[in-house]
Amino acid sequence: MRRRDDVLRAVLLAATALLMPVALYLIFVNAPEEKVMGAVQKIFYFHVPIAAVTFLSVFVLLAGATGYLWTRRAGWDHLSIASAEVGLVFCTLVLITGPIWAKPAWGVWWTWEAKLTTTLILWLLLAGILLSRAYASSPEQGARVASVLGVVAALDVPIIYKAVDWWRGQHPIVFGPGKTNPLAPGMMSALMVSMLVFFLLYALLVAARMRLAALEDRLAALEDAAWRSR
Amino acid sequence: MKSYDFLFWGYLVVWTGLMAYFVVLGRKTASVARRLDALEAKAKRDGAAGTT
Repeated sequence: MRRRDDVLRAVLLAATALLMPVALYLIFVNAPEEKVMGAVQKIFYFHVPIAAVTFLSVFVLLAGATGYLWTRRAGWDHLSIASAEVGLVFCTLVLITGPIWAKPAWGVWWTWEAKLTTTLILWLLLAGILLSRAYASSPEQGARVASVLGVVAALDVPIIYKAVDWWRGQHPIVFGPGKTNPLAPGMMSALMVSMLVFFLLYALLVAARMRLAALEDRLAALEDAAWRSR
Repeated sequence: MKSYDFLFWGYLVVWTGLMAYFVVLGRKTASVARRLDALEAKAKRDGAAGTT
């Protein structure tokens, strides 16, 4: 089992390392520059995949949280811990890359626009999940509170997705129901490969974090047993 | 708007952030694995001493 996990992590690492330069080539050399925004638009090839991975991580977190609340099995909790932590890293990067684009495009780093505000709320919820685990009186209580917060975080994702429609925000919508694809072929291939790289990276980080969670559980159990036998 | 320097810093933040997290994760895993190995070895020694 451990050997299979090691192989999986090695394959994910190799695939990510191989595809990353391809994505960089497609983004910076192959994809045409957008007519209005020029070079600054290229942040799109990072910002959109990172945002997509953030959404995925919240849905995986939801699966882990409901699985844990239903079965109380540690494996589900490890998945939930891993996806919350990796999701927080990606959500932080969404909130960094967004303003890098917003400053030249809108003239401000940040505005309390609906999509940005609801994304900030998601970041706070993910941070809350990690804090609730860190400061809970027992690991079981931490897992329970984190699972409930995970369900709340998942409710925020469709709100973020629909925020521009519901509150007429200024955040651009490139893809959506009823919209024709506005991207040139070179732009589309750069976006797709970049998306694949970030999904692979997400899978790699979640697998590595799940292994750490499993080791931490085993260590805690052994330390507890050693303490009791004294 | 045409400056790639500006983008360079943006991408640097993204990859530095991700790589830093990956390295922290690896170091934390190695540290926990070492402590686990030490505890398991100690438990084995104690078990062997108890049976003799």
